[in-house]
Amino acid sequence: DSHIQYERVGADVTMKCGSMDWDSAVTWTANGTDIDESHLNGSYLILKNVDLTQSGQYSCYEGSSWHLKYQTYLRVGIPPKEPVLMCRSNNYPKGFYCSWHLPTPTYIPNSFNISVIHGTKEMVCEKDIYPKNRCHIRYLQLFSTVKYKVTLTVTNALGKNSTTLTFDEVAIVKPDPPESVVAKPVPNNPRRLEVSWQNPSSWPDPESFPLKFFLRYRPLILDQWQHVELSDGTSHTITDAYAGKEYIIQVAAKDNDIGTWSDWSVAVHATPWTEEPKHLTTEAQIT
Amino acid sequence: MAAADSPSAALRRRDLCSRGIRLAGKMRSDVIDLLDTYVERQGLDASTSVATVEGVPVAAVEHWDEQTGTQRLLENLAAYRAFRVLLAQMLEEHREQLGEADTTLGRALAAVLLQVSAFAYHLEELLRLESRGPPSEEGADPPSVPHLGLFERKLRGLGVLRELAQWAVRSSRDLRQLTKPSPGSSSAPSWAESP
Repeated sequence: DSHIQYERVGADVTMKCGSMDWDSAVTWTANGTDIDESHLNGSYLILKNVDLTQSGQYSCYEGSSWHLKYQTYLRVGIPPKEPVLMCRSNNYPKGFYCSWHLPTPTYIPNSFNISVIHGTKEMVCEKDIYPKNRCHIRYLQLFSTVKYKVTLTVTNALGKNSTTLTFDEVAIVKPDPPESVVAKPVPNNPRRLEVSWQNPSSWPDPESFPLKFFLRYRPLILDQWQHVELSDGTSHTITDAYAGKEYIIQVAAKDNDIGTWSDWSVAVHATPWTEEPKHLTTEAQIT
Repeated sequence: MAAADSPSAALRRRDLCSRGIRLAGKMRSDVIDLLDTYVERQGLDASTSVATVEGVPVAAVEHWDEQTGTQRLLENLAAYRAFRVLLAQMLEEHREQLGEADTTLGRALAAVLLQVSAFAYHLEELLRLESRGPPSEEGADPPSVPHLGLFERKLRGLGVLRELAQWAVRSSRDLRQLTKPSPGSSSAPSWAESP
């Protein structure tokens, strides 16, 4: 019969050839290749201090008849380390999502279980189809001072580990960056650039939950950014640009009252308007 | 009384909502500063967990987006009237405990109490624009002050201020909802319907 066997890296593994006696004559193969007798103790296969390269199919055949007596798939791996968990609300006040990953691979299959508790109430975190290490929760209550407690447990055949996050409703609010950032020169104004953008499409109700914005800009040739905070509107005119210099511009967003700033938007480049150089004339043409 | 939907009432309503939003924002900012002062002066830990405090209006609400304008105003008004009493009690206890020794906390409490009173009055004005007007406070028994030890009173105060901070956030959201036009109408929101 064939089955899967999970073992830790560094473990010593002993495989029995099914119901065969210890002193039976057998041949072991690993992925179809005969295993040297030096690894046998009677009919038992001994693998010491296994490593990842020793994962594979192990088969045991009766000596003379070459009947298959036992087969197993050895998966060498490690128990899970403490997972990394992050929760965020980019669509307040609708809900929040949590996503997770393992800091190092285990090399064997893992399963994840997430529990979300708000006060005494257990809430369901609906798993996303993609990405699969993410789930989302709808807020049942708003403006609660009671904290949320999210525990993620990761389990595999060699062990389990878990991590817990505790936070209140507003601490995890972080919008997505503003979208469609556009920067254009202003005709006949060599020191101006007009910048406009849109609310992130994931933010469901900017009328009731308005965002404020932070704009940063610098000429490409300098490292120092200039910053402007804007409490309303989705456009701004830069009036102190260096004439003729290409600028890089980004915008970030934050709910007016709660949470943290989004990541910076995709950067856009623009150069202020410059006058067309006048056509040079020669003295002969002037006279 | 002007009809609730007359143009002048609509303008007055919009003006009151805008000013209310600004008041709520300032109040929240001051309550957060007061919380820092309170925690420090009362020797508490900022991360101290406080169980639900009896008699303190809870800001948490389900189906918030389905509330009518009138519901929002009535719930806000009931909350701020309760906070007015609670903060007055806290101020009284503070003065009994320390006399005039600690004026920083006392002044901060008094300033927030003033804002809470002003905001309650603001809400009453908004409700007067509706034909029903604000509910009367006469005859209502003041909430009883539970007999608590000094440390329990400090924790209760922490709970009061945290919930007030939460209410200040909710209030500005509620007032913004009130300024949104209801579906199908071209002008003022109809507060009897769900916004």
